[in-house]
Amino acid sequence: MSTKHSIAAEKFIQNSERVTRHDQTFWSVRSKRDALAYELDEWENLREAASNIKKHTVTHLADYLEQFEQNATRNGAIVHWAKDAEEYNQIVWSILRQHEVRKVVKSKSMLTEECHLNDHLIGNGIDVVETDLGERILQLMELAPSHIVMPAIHITREQVAECFRQKGIIAEHGAHAAEGILPEGEDYTQSSDPTFLTRAARYHLRDNFMTAECGMTGANFGIAETGDIVVCTNEGNADMSTSVPKLHIVSMGIEKLIPNYEAMGVFQRLLARHGTGQATTVYTSHFRGPRPGGEMHIILVDNGRSSILGNEEHWQTLKCMRCGACMNTCPVYRRSGGYSYTYFIPGPIGINLGMLKNPDEHYHNLSACSLCCSCDNVCPVKVDLSSQIYRWRQNLDGMHHSDAIKKAMSKGMKILFEHPSLYVTSLKFAPLVNVMPKCLTDIRLNGWAYGHTMPVFAKKSFHEIWKKQLKSENV
Amino acid sequence: MDTKEYILKNLRKNVRETYDMPDLSFRKRTYDNPVDAFIETTTTTAGAKLMEIKAGDDINQKIREAYPDAKIIASNIPGIEASLNPDSVAEAQELEKTDVGVIKGEVACAENGCVWIPQTMKEKAICFISECLVILVSRQNIVSNMHEAYERIQFNEYGFGTFISGPSKTADIEQSLVYGAQAARDVTIFLTD
Repeated sequence: MSTKHSIAAEKFIQNSERVTRHDQTFWSVRSKRDALAYELDEWENLREAASNIKKHTVTHLADYLEQFEQNATRNGAIVHWAKDAEEYNQIVWSILRQHEVRKVVKSKSMLTEECHLNDHLIGNGIDVVETDLGERILQLMELAPSHIVMPAIHITREQVAECFRQKGIIAEHGAHAAEGILPEGEDYTQSSDPTFLTRAARYHLRDNFMTAECGMTGANFGIAETGDIVVCTNEGNADMSTSVPKLHIVSMGIEKLIPNYEAMGVFQRLLARHGTGQATTVYTSHFRGPRPGGEMHIILVDNGRSSILGNEEHWQTLKCMRCGACMNTCPVYRRSGGYSYTYFIPGPIGINLGMLKNPDEHYHNLSACSLCCSCDNVCPVKVDLSSQIYRWRQNLDGMHHSDAIKKAMSKGMKILFEHPSLYVTSLKFAPLVNVMPKCLTDIRLNGWAYGHTMPVFAKKSFHEIWKKQLKSENV
Repeated sequence: MDTKEYILKNLRKNVRETYDMPDLSFRKRTYDNPVDAFIETTTTTAGAKLMEIKAGDDINQKIREAYPDAKIIASNIPGIEASLNPDSVAEAQELEKTDVGVIKGEVACAENGCVWIPQTMKEKAICFISECLVILVSRQNIVSNMHEAYERIQFNEYGFGTFISGPSKTADIEQSLVYGAQAARDVTIFLTD
């Protein structure tokens, strides 16, 4: 029995060039993060502090949420509460309807992905424009993100160029975008130069910023003491989205709250260093109320988070700040790609969040872990990701999702290990496997022979050699 | 029970063990010369340019030196020759044709090149929509790290402020670094006395 992850991963690795590129891309991000880590003597202090601040905040979250609401309200923002995706989508829709909004410019938010907001709005006739370049490419290609920070990294420049041509972006903005970027006389309609494509997208998105009536952002952090919403981007798209339209809607998962600026200093230093291997994002913007003549709405979304807090083994997933470091380092993610996972967030954190969301649907992802623990060692807030995956696996049998063949093997091994004489006899006969025809050993039933050849059993077991040695030394 | 009540009640019910806020007084990286460190960071990893402005320098002349092709300059800083003013435009959209926006930073951070820019104008779009950006910041206001920066930053009645470390950038297409994603594609820091 194979999991959905392993089946999808098998397809992904058919194209070895793609796997190598994917693997190296994320390993390079991991390496950049390491270089920054070695620069700071207080690196481990910062991680420990971040973990403890989050532990403190999520175990006092009700108080902090009340404090945040009071301060944000005093700053002139309108605070809403949503217990699930449906209520959240309803609130957004009712705000948009009230303001007769036709077009929304949106900066990247995993929460809106979680709640399928775009589908809901588009179904209601709203023109929703993603403004992060990667997200926009995916939206135009009708694809989902394959990474939470670098969502379109698996798409090639040629694919982007083809998509922009099909959508008329090159026809409309290509000539302007080529100025000073491409050599004069080069046929820009066939160019897949990343600078040219980015410039074309810049002009295309500018048009949308100018005409949208509402800007939506997520929140990297909410600050209880001041009522600030903090949004970090490199492109400045969250700022463009909120500087032109008068209406700003913030969507924030309740676990994104931190107590104060002192804590913010810790997280600002950790987020970009971990996520993309930069000392900072280009923009770290603090929104403390609506812009002149505008309105700011903050929607605090639960969608299962308050219940996760009660889960003794997995509550610490609430510390996660969605930096993506665990995916970048994960050897399985790097070689299987984001689409191999059944949950919309891939990698170690996604495996755990998927299980918390719906175990029957997402237990497949538990196989996407070699228990190498690398994720635990890079997580800026010290979520024990691999230990949590290990714990989920222990419960698979109780959930009737264990692999029947592996279960049978385990039972067999249990008998073998509990009966030394049987074990020794089996070892004696093990080399027989060496001379068995391959068609008998390399079968799908034998999981160990799939994907690699069977090991050669030694003629003498370690046991035998050891006993002989002891005898000869007369111990 | 309304949603807020439900969420707060569920959170309070589900806490098993509480944790204290940790002590954050551990030693943080500082620089003997934060100004030099800021210049280094800004002009390398942050991807910005930097001009040191001396007493008696003509700032308008320096802006023309930095961006000789600029036709439309926007600013609300007294003394800056600008044809657009973010305080007096009717809508943010009018700032879209800005070649160079000139704004003021209050605190600069050596470890990562971030400059704190509180909103001091009606339309903050000037900070993002301008093709190129000149940020004036005093060398007296450079701190070593973000902890020190967060101790210093101030808000005003506009209720918005942002740390900007350089030009808008993206690596979303095949990890190739491109400056000029959605916001300013070129940034020059004017380091004043």
